[in-house]
Amino acid sequence: MDRRKFLKGVGVAGVVSLAGCTGGPDESTETDGENQSDQQQGGTGTDTTSGNESESTGTDSTDGGSGDGSDVNVGMVYATGGLGDGSFNDQAQTGLNRAAQDLGVSFNESEPSQVSEFARFQQSFAQSQDPDYDLVSCIGFLQAEALTETAGQYPDQDFMIVDATVDADNVANYLFAEHQGSYLVGQMAGLLTTQEFAAGAGETNPEETTVGFVGGAEGSLIGKFEAGFTAGVKAVDSNIQVLSNYVGGSSPFNDPTAGKAAANSMYNNGADIVYHAAGNTGTGVFNAAKEQGRFAIGVDRDQSVTKPNSADVILASMVKRVDTAVYNSIEAVVNGNFEGGANTTLGLEQEGVKVVYGDQIGGDIPEEVKTQVSDARQQIIDGGIEVPTDPSNV
Amino acid sequence: MSSEAGSDGSKPDRSGTEWGDRARAGLARLVEASAFERALISLAALVLSIAIGALVILAAGRTATCETAATTYFGYGFCYDPFRVYDRLFLGALGNPINPLFDPLHGNFAAPFTEGWTPFNDRLAYTLTETTVLVLTGLSVAVAFKAGIFNIGTQGQMVIGGLASTLVMLALVPVFTGLATVALLPIGIVVGAVFGGLYGAIPGALKAYADANEVITTIMLNFVASSVALYLVREQFKDPDSFSTKTNDLPAGVEFPQLLYAQNTAFSVVALLFVLALVAATYYLLRHTSFGYDLRTSGLQAAAAEYGGVNSARTIVASMTISGALAGIGGTVYVLMYYGYFQPPVPSYGFDGITVAILAGNNPVGVVPAAFLFGVLKSGAISIQTDPNVTIPIQLVGVLRGLIILFVAMPEFFRLVGKRFTDAGRRSREGGSRVADAVRSDGGVAGGETDE
Repeated sequence: MDRRKFLKGVGVAGVVSLAGCTGGPDESTETDGENQSDQQQGGTGTDTTSGNESESTGTDSTDGGSGDGSDVNVGMVYATGGLGDGSFNDQAQTGLNRAAQDLGVSFNESEPSQVSEFARFQQSFAQSQDPDYDLVSCIGFLQAEALTETAGQYPDQDFMIVDATVDADNVANYLFAEHQGSYLVGQMAGLLTTQEFAAGAGETNPEETTVGFVGGAEGSLIGKFEAGFTAGVKAVDSNIQVLSNYVGGSSPFNDPTAGKAAANSMYNNGADIVYHAAGNTGTGVFNAAKEQGRFAIGVDRDQSVTKPNSADVILASMVKRVDTAVYNSIEAVVNGNFEGGANTTLGLEQEGVKVVYGDQIGGDIPEEVKTQVSDARQQIIDGGIEVPTDPSNV
Repeated sequence: MSSEAGSDGSKPDRSGTEWGDRARAGLARLVEASAFERALISLAALVLSIAIGALVILAAGRTATCETAATTYFGYGFCYDPFRVYDRLFLGALGNPINPLFDPLHGNFAAPFTEGWTPFNDRLAYTLTETTVLVLTGLSVAVAFKAGIFNIGTQGQMVIGGLASTLVMLALVPVFTGLATVALLPIGIVVGAVFGGLYGAIPGALKAYADANEVITTIMLNFVASSVALYLVREQFKDPDSFSTKTNDLPAGVEFPQLLYAQNTAFSVVALLFVLALVAATYYLLRHTSFGYDLRTSGLQAAAAEYGGVNSARTIVASMTISGALAGIGGTVYVLMYYGYFQPPVPSYGFDGITVAILAGNNPVGVVPAAFLFGVLKSGAISIQTDPNVTIPIQLVGVLRGLIILFVAMPEFFRLVGKRFTDAGRRSREGGSRVADAVRSDGGVAGGETDE
């Protein structure tokens, strides 16, 4: 009967196609080679590849550790956005891969999908005897509440957390001076909006001196971005208008549609440049900039590289080196000088935050703008400029 | 009767009709299946889904690249080992009860249970925590289903119930000091039930008195609930000392007592027993009270029920209120077990509850094993990810979970569909007296669970 023939055909085709697949272990050296080079690029942290593609294939992730001697094991709990977000978590993974390569540590990654799962993941790593994890890395401030409890339950386990402070002897806290980096991109935006400037697919509107900020969820963390940015803009000229909007909603950091709507209304109100601190929501900001022929500023990673389609409108990115925090904490464990209870703030001085000009149009930014930005950087490091962290104090 | 119409009445030379008749006969067979047969069908579906999932894992393992093979079949190496993945997914969720040396197929008869394994381990605790909440949301959806109402708003009712009870308990903390804090727990549960119930009554009333489609109103009210919760917590009741958007912590005494399981787990046996008591109460309400009779007849054939003297509008509102109250209790239990404070967004237990209810065939008692399956799958996904010996992308685990749920739910789904389109189903829908027969015939008798 027809049906049987069909089924047979499907079966044969399935077997053939399975056999024809060029994957699998130890066989096709070509793909293996490719994969390894991917890994290396992902691990160097230089952002020269469009990271996500090589990283999100998921083939190489779980047991890292090219294993040269070091028997340190790291358990990694990512933030809820998961890998492949092109910013926060991928940046953390970069640091982890680098540690695996340079220090030979082994690691095991996990991607919780809900805030309520954080505790369970942290406990699983802390409880594990085989292997016994030397460090559990927790990415993102939303893990702070769960970690406060978990750290108390497992006093012998070392933890590290990024973006929050947990008051416990066995937790190393890594914070970033996002306001400092944001001040610099604010300064750049302020200088550019007051002049006529065109590069790539965008241009400024010389009649308006307005810039914008799109945040994910309101709170003290994203507030630091806004405060620094606004302060940087106002330092150029206090008459420049800064439009600010928080996307909010149930997935504030993964809502490109809302990000696009927010940015569009800013561009329509005369904004030349919009800075975002909203994770994947920022993709919508870039799309709006492209459509309106205006500019945008990226966040967390060099987004002119991670979002190559929008490279012609991304002036610069405020890079936050989550990878440095992850790498440093692992290095401390390997070297035996892990400091539980310590608060480390990575600012401009430690290169924890910095401004990276756009890959494609960054070269068109006038030299005097860049000079002023790097002057301001030095002044912040020297203490000459005090950058506010609360937008209501600007 | 229906199977006669299916096979004998068809003409084999016209394949189209033949297929249609076969399908109809198959549906009729499903509709008439006994409870035991349905359990067998579910088990077979589970096994089939695992077999197909294993093929998916193997295929993905061939297309992926890795340095060493996780497993080898027929001379081919595969990157992912399906046996190990399923071992983690199911046994990991139970805390590894099976001794790896126990392998009767190969003649190794060691002790079947892992040494030191107890049912009171942390992994099983997490599985049961998930189960406890899912039983409530599944029950909520099932009760509405029984009345013929498709309540997609369980999620919103859960959010409102959980938030309201948290806020009320927080407000009452100064009143109930010392030992009296124990009293806050029952108050919170009642408040959660009241607010969840009221929030469920809104779409119920809209349907009963304004003929508004409950599917649309409940979906929309879900958005309202989550936005209101986010606004209230962020703007009015935020914990000023926290990075996160959450309310203040409830005092330490306000929680379900933790017995048998370790303190670091979220699970409370008392909460599970309370929830099982609610399952029994719901079963009793539906099967052995006149209100339950009204509710079920309305669900089977609303017009006939009304003809028989049932106030259909009131029944709709009442069943939605009960459904919402169960969801609201679910929200409260979730808050008390997981956090001790309210933090938006609430995970999609309400939507999972729809699947749990379908898995259970809308039987209140069946909700318990269905929710347990869900709990195992959720907890197992975590044990897969945290096990260093299992390498598999988390997205693939999601596919496996989806396959299992799809396969197990489909027979029940087709049964529900079949009731509308086959003779077997039609029998129970024709005329008021037939409805009464159908209801009476399975009134609490084992093996007679054939209504919707």
